[in-house]
Amino acid sequence: MAQTAKQRYLFLAFCLLPTFLLFLVFTIYPMLGGLYYSFFEWSGTSSVKTFIGLDNYIKLWNDSIIKQAIFNDFFFVFVKVIGIMILSLFFAVALTQLRIKEAPFYRIVFFFPNIMSVVVIGILWQFIYDPSIGLVNSLLTKVGLSEWARPWLGDMTWVLPSIAIPAIWAGIGLFMLLLMGGISNVPKSLYEAADIDGASEWQQFWRITVPLIWPQIKTSILYIIITSLNGSFVLVQVMTGGGPGSASEVMGSYLYQRAFEDFQFGYGAAIGVLILVVSLITVLISQLILKKEKVEY
Amino acid sequence: MKAFSQIMVRIPLILWAIIVIFPLVWMFMGAFKTNAEIFTSPWALPQNFNFSNFARAWNDFNIGRAFLNSFFVTAFGSILTLALSIPTAYALERIRSKMGEVLINVYLASMMIPAVLGWIPLFFLLMKLNLLDNLWALSLIYAISHVPFTIFILIGFIGNIPKELEEAATVDGMSQYGILFKIITPLIKSGIMTVTILNAISYWNEFFMALILLQTESNTTLGVAMNLLKTKAQYESAWGVLFAGLCIAVIPVIIFYTIFQRSITKGMTEGAIK
Repeated sequence: MAQTAKQRYLFLAFCLLPTFLLFLVFTIYPMLGGLYYSFFEWSGTSSVKTFIGLDNYIKLWNDSIIKQAIFNDFFFVFVKVIGIMILSLFFAVALTQLRIKEAPFYRIVFFFPNIMSVVVIGILWQFIYDPSIGLVNSLLTKVGLSEWARPWLGDMTWVLPSIAIPAIWAGIGLFMLLLMGGISNVPKSLYEAADIDGASEWQQFWRITVPLIWPQIKTSILYIIITSLNGSFVLVQVMTGGGPGSASEVMGSYLYQRAFEDFQFGYGAAIGVLILVVSLITVLISQLILKKEKVEY
Repeated sequence: MKAFSQIMVRIPLILWAIIVIFPLVWMFMGAFKTNAEIFTSPWALPQNFNFSNFARAWNDFNIGRAFLNSFFVTAFGSILTLALSIPTAYALERIRSKMGEVLINVYLASMMIPAVLGWIPLFFLLMKLNLLDNLWALSLIYAISHVPFTIFILIGFIGNIPKELEEAATVDGMSQYGILFKIITPLIKSGIMTVTILNAISYWNEFFMALILLQTESNTTLGVAMNLLKTKAQYESAWGVLFAGLCIAVIPVIIFYTIFQRSITKGMTEGAIK
C-alpha cells in the first residue's frame, strides 16, 4: 500500500502549486513590476510609455517634498517607537506583575483601537482636533487655556505631533499583549529571589524583566519601524492628505498622490522603490543597534 | 508598600482607559445628536435617542451597501485565505526539503516588502484582466496578501501534531488528501480560528487597496464609503450622520472582538508571534 513517487509528487503539486502561482501573479509580479515601471515616464495610457532611465530617480533626488516626506516618516518612526514602547511596557508590567483584579478589563479595552479601521481612527481623530466641533479645543477652553486652542491639523508645526498621537493611541494594545506574553514566561522564582535579596521593584524591572523579554522588545521595535514606514501614510492621507502644504506628507501618501491623483505612474513607482530601500536600510541598522546577547539565568 | 504602588499604578491605567474609551463614547453620542447639539454641547448626552442619523447614513450615504460589500469581501476573503494556506502549510511543514526551505523563505521575505511597491503594477494588471472594480477580485487580492502570514501561523500549529497519527492513518489505507482534510485540518482548529479572526478583522478594515481597486459607488467597501461620507458630511455639515457612519463601521468589530478576544489573546501570546 506504499504510495508511488508519482502520487507523492501529485499531492505536493496539489498542495503547493495553485497557491504559489497566484502568489507569483498577484504578489511577486507586481513587486518586480514596480521596479520596472520606475524607469519609465507613464501617464497610465499604454501608448505613451517612454523609457527614461534614471530620470525619475534624479527627479526624486531634487524633489524637496521627498526630503520633507522622509523626514516626516522618520519623525513618526521615532515618536511611535518611544511612545508605544514606554507605554506598552509599563502597562504590560503593571498588568502581569502587580495583582490587579480588573486587569482583563484593561487588556480588552486597550486593544479596542487595534481592531478599528485606520480610516475610522483617522476620521474620528480629525474631528477630535476639529476647531469648531472638536474635543481638544473645547477641553482647553473649559480649563481656561483657550489661547492654546488652534486648528491642530492645519498648523504647520503641530500637524505632525497631532497625527502621531492617534498613531500611538492605536498601537498600544497589540504590543502590550506581545510583551505580556514575554513577561508571563519569566520564571516567578527569579523575582522571589530578588525580593529576598532586597532588590527594589525598579531594579527588578531593569535587571530581570527587560533582559529576559529583550527578544519581544526587539521584535516589537522592529515591527513598529516596519509598519510605520510602510503604513503610516494611511492615517496621513485620511487626516490631512499631506497638508497643510506638504507639512505632514510621508512617502506613501506622496506616492498615492503622484500616481493615482496626478497620473505620474513612473514617478510613483520610483517612490515605491525608495520606500523599499529606506525601510530595508532602516531595519538593517536597527537590527545592528538592538543586537544584544541573549540572556539566560 | 505593595498597596501604595498598586494605587499609583492604577492612575495611569485608568487614565489610558479613559483616553481610549472617551473618543468612542463621544462618537457614539454624536451619532444621536443634532447639529446644534454637536456644536453647543459636545460633552453632553444627546437629548433624545433617535436613529435618524443611522438611517440617513445607511440609506442616503451608501453605508448600507458598503456594509454588505465589506461583509462579502471579509467572508469570501477569509475562506479563500484558508483554502490557499492550509495545503501549503501542511506540505511545507511535513516535507522538509531544499525546495521547501526556499519556498518558505520566499514567502517570509515577501512579508518584509512594502505592499505599496506593488500597487501600481497590480492596478494595471487587474485592469488588463478586466478585474478592476470587482469584489471577487478584491477578495482574492486580500487572500493572497495574507497567505504568507497565515502559512506561518499554521505551520507552527501543524508542527505540534505527532507524525504517528498520519502513519497510522496511512496503514489504515487513508490517502494523503484524506489525511490533510480529515485529520490535520480538524486538529489545527484553534490555529485556524486565531488566524481567521485576525485576517477577517484586517479585511473588514482595509482601506487603501479598496480605494485604488474599486471604482463605482455601488461596489465600495466600508473604508472607502466612510472616506466619501466624510467629504460629503463636511460639505453638508451632516456631522451626526458622519458619527453614525463611524459607529456602523466600528460596532460589528467591537462585538466580534469581545466574543472572540480569548482566542486572539491566546494566539498572540502563545506561539503565534514570537
